[in-house]
Amino acid sequence: MAGRGRGGKTGTLTAEQLAMLGCVKDMPVQSAPQPTFPPVMNKPIAVETTTAQNYQLLWKEQFLNRMRDSPYYIVSACQDKQHLEHKDWRERALERMKLKSEPEFNYKAMPRELNTTNRKRRGADARPKLLAKKTNIEDRLKALEQKELKTGTENEQDDAKKESDSEQEDELDEEAALDDEMDDENDYGNSYFDNGEAYNDEDDNLDDGPVI
Amino acid sequence: MSADYAHLCSAIVEQCFGKVSQAVSDCLFSATTRTLSQIANATKFSRKEVGLALSVLIKFRLVSFEASKLNPFVPEYSLRRQDILCLLRYPRYIHMVQTKYGNVGASIAEELVNAGSDTASAILIKCLSEGDTKSDGAESYRNTFLQMITDHYIIKRPELILSEEQDEVMPKFESNECDYFRHPNIDLQLIEKIRRGEATLAEAGDSTMIWNINYDRFHQDFRDSIMIDSIERKLGENASECFRFILKIMYKTTDPWQRKLSNQITFVDIKQTIEKKSNNLDLMKHLDQYISLLTDDSLGFLRRVGDMGGGLYVVDMEHAFQSLAFACIESVITERFSSKAARIFRVIRFKKFIEQEDLQKEAMIPAKEAKSLAYNLFQEQFIHVKAIKKAGGGGNGLAKAFYLFQIKEKDSVRMLLDICYKSLYNTIERSNFEKNEHKGLIEKSQRLDSIVETMKERGESDEYIAEIVETFTPPEVEILNKVKHRIKTLSKAELTMDQTIFLLQMYQHHCTILPTGIGKYK
Repeated sequence: MAGRGRGGKTGTLTAEQLAMLGCVKDMPVQSAPQPTFPPVMNKPIAVETTTAQNYQLLWKEQFLNRMRDSPYYIVSACQDKQHLEHKDWRERALERMKLKSEPEFNYKAMPRELNTTNRKRRGADARPKLLAKKTNIEDRLKALEQKELKTGTENEQDDAKKESDSEQEDELDEEAALDDEMDDENDYGNSYFDNGEAYNDEDDNLDDGPVI
Repeated sequence: MSADYAHLCSAIVEQCFGKVSQAVSDCLFSATTRTLSQIANATKFSRKEVGLALSVLIKFRLVSFEASKLNPFVPEYSLRRQDILCLLRYPRYIHMVQTKYGNVGASIAEELVNAGSDTASAILIKCLSEGDTKSDGAESYRNTFLQMITDHYIIKRPELILSEEQDEVMPKFESNECDYFRHPNIDLQLIEKIRRGEATLAEAGDSTMIWNINYDRFHQDFRDSIMIDSIERKLGENASECFRFILKIMYKTTDPWQRKLSNQITFVDIKQTIEKKSNNLDLMKHLDQYISLLTDDSLGFLRRVGDMGGGLYVVDMEHAFQSLAFACIESVITERFSSKAARIFRVIRFKKFIEQEDLQKEAMIPAKEAKSLAYNLFQEQFIHVKAIKKAGGGGNGLAKAFYLFQIKEKDSVRMLLDICYKSLYNTIERSNFEKNEHKGLIEKSQRLDSIVETMKERGESDEYIAEIVETFTPPEVEILNKVKHRIKTLSKAELTMDQTIFLLQMYQHHCTILPTGIGKYK
C-alpha cells in the first residue's frame, strides 16, 4: 500500500491537492531561492519622523560612535595592524591615544582566568616574602654577633693564628647559615647565583679553543 | 532561536563591541555553554583576546558564567541571547528616562548604558564631570538615581561574596530578591573629594553594589504604552486614561509579567483611584460606561468576571496581545499582497477552517483572484492547509479528501518574527555597507566640520571659513547628503522594526508557554 504509511507531512502539496485548492496550472511555482533584492510590489508609505524618533536617531548615532571609540570595542592585534597600515600619521596617533585608555573591569566578580593581570600580581606577592627573609637574615646576623662576642671573651688568650682561623670559620658558618636560608622556598634559581668573586679569575680551560 | 536571530545578534555585537566579541558571541550562540579554551580554539583568537572579549560581554551582562559540573574549578560561559536585542533598544530606554526624569535622568541612564554596569558613586562622578553641574547639583543627580532605583528602572546585580582567599577561581554571588532595589549609601562629600583627586573610588562605601539598567521594567512601560495607545486610537482619550488607571491598580496585586490574566480588580477600586488621582470630570461622570465600552470592545483588553464590589474585572493580556499581533499581521499582509488578501486572511481566521469555494463566497472576491491570493498567502506560509481524508475510500480510485484552509496562529507569529529579524539584520548590514562605501567622504566631512568649529572658536574671518568649506565640492556634498538620508532612513526602519518585534515578542510571552526569559527580576 504505497503512500499510505505513517509518513509525516512532506511540506509540499501534490498537483492534485493544488488543483483541489483551486490553483491554476500557470501559477508560478517557487523552485529556486528568491532573488536577494526582489522587486517591491507596492511602494511602502514613507512614515513621518517624530521628534521622539529624531532624538533616538541622534542618540543612537552618538552611542555607536562612543562605543567604537571606547576600550570595550575590541579589535584583534593582526586586524589592528592591517587597519593602521592604511592610515596616515594623524589617524594612527589618534588610534594610539584610543588604545591608551584601559577598560575598567571588576575582576573580583569574574572568573580568575579572565584576569590578564594575574601574573603581575603574583610577582608583587613575592616581595613581602623576600622582605621577610631579609629580616630573618638580620636577626640571624645579630644572633651570630652576640655569639661571636661570647666566644671572643672566652678565647681572649688564644693565639693570633687561632683567631684568624676562628674568624674564617665564623665567616663560613655565616655563609652556611645564609645558604640554609636561601634553600627555603623562594622564587630565585639559586644554582644561577653569581657573587662576582670569580670575575677576574683566569680561565683555566684554555684548551677549549680560541676565543673569538 | 532561529538562524536569522543568530545573524542579527552577531551584527549587533559587532556594531557595539568589535570583531573579537562578535566571534566569541557567535561561538557561544551555537552552544549552551563553553569554556575559555574551547572558545579560543573555535575562534582562533588568542586566549588573552578571548578573555578580554568575555570580560566586556560579562560587564555588559550579555554573557553569564558558572562552574562546570564536571570540574568546579573550570568556568563555563553562556550567552544571554534574548538580551542582545536590548542593545538596539537603548535609544528608546534613554528617551523614556528623559521624558520621565529630564536631562539628569537621561545623563545617568546614558552613563550606565555606556559603562554596562558600575557602582552608583562611579556613575555619579562620570555624570558630574560630563554634565552641566551649574544647573543640576550633585544632590539632584543622587536623588534622581535613587528615584530610578525606587521605580525599578535600575537594578542591583547579585552582590559578590568576599572570601578570605583573594584569588578565587570562581567568584560567588549572593542573590536576594528583596535586595535588588535597596538604596546604596552615596556620600556626596566623598564624591566631591574623589573628583578633586583627594580620595579614590575604592574608598566609597558602595563599591560592592553594582547597578544595571533593568530592561524588563522598560519593557513593561513599552507594553503598557502599546495597549494604552491602541485604546486611545480606537475608543478615545478618556477610555485610555481609564485603562491606564486600571493597569496601575493591577500592578498592586499582580506580577507585571503574569502570562495570561491579571488578578481581579473591583469597580469600586477603579472608581476610588480615579476620583483620587484624576482631574477628568467627564471620565468620573461616565466611568461605568467607559468600563463597559472597554469590556465590550473586540480588542478584549478588559473582561468582566463577576458582580462583587460593583463588578469584578480582569485584564486579559492573552486576548489583548492576540488582537494586537493579528492586527499587525493583517497590516503586513495588506502592504505585501493588497487589502483583498487581508480580507481572505481575516475570513479564514474568523471561520477557523474553510474550503476554497466557501472562502471566495465569504470574502466576496472573484473566484480566480481569490484563488491566486490564497495561493500567495499559502506560499508565504501566512495560511496553512489541513487535509481531511474521508474514511473507507479504498479500492483503485483516489481517496476522497477535503482540503481546508486554516491559520496556525503561533506559527504565523513566529514566521513573521523571523522575517523581522532577517530584515533588521539586512538593514544593519546595508547601513554598514553604505558607511564603508562612503567612508572617505564621511570622514572628510567630519574633519572639515571640526576644523570649521575650531576656526570659529578662534574668531577667524567668515571669508576664510567659507574658503575652507568650499574644499568640499558640490558633487561631494550631493553624494554625502544622499548617503546621510539613506542611513537615516535605514536607522528609522531599525527603530520601527524593533517596535514590531517587541509586539510579537509580547504575543509569545502572553499567548504561548514558550520560555521568553522575561521576568520581574532577571
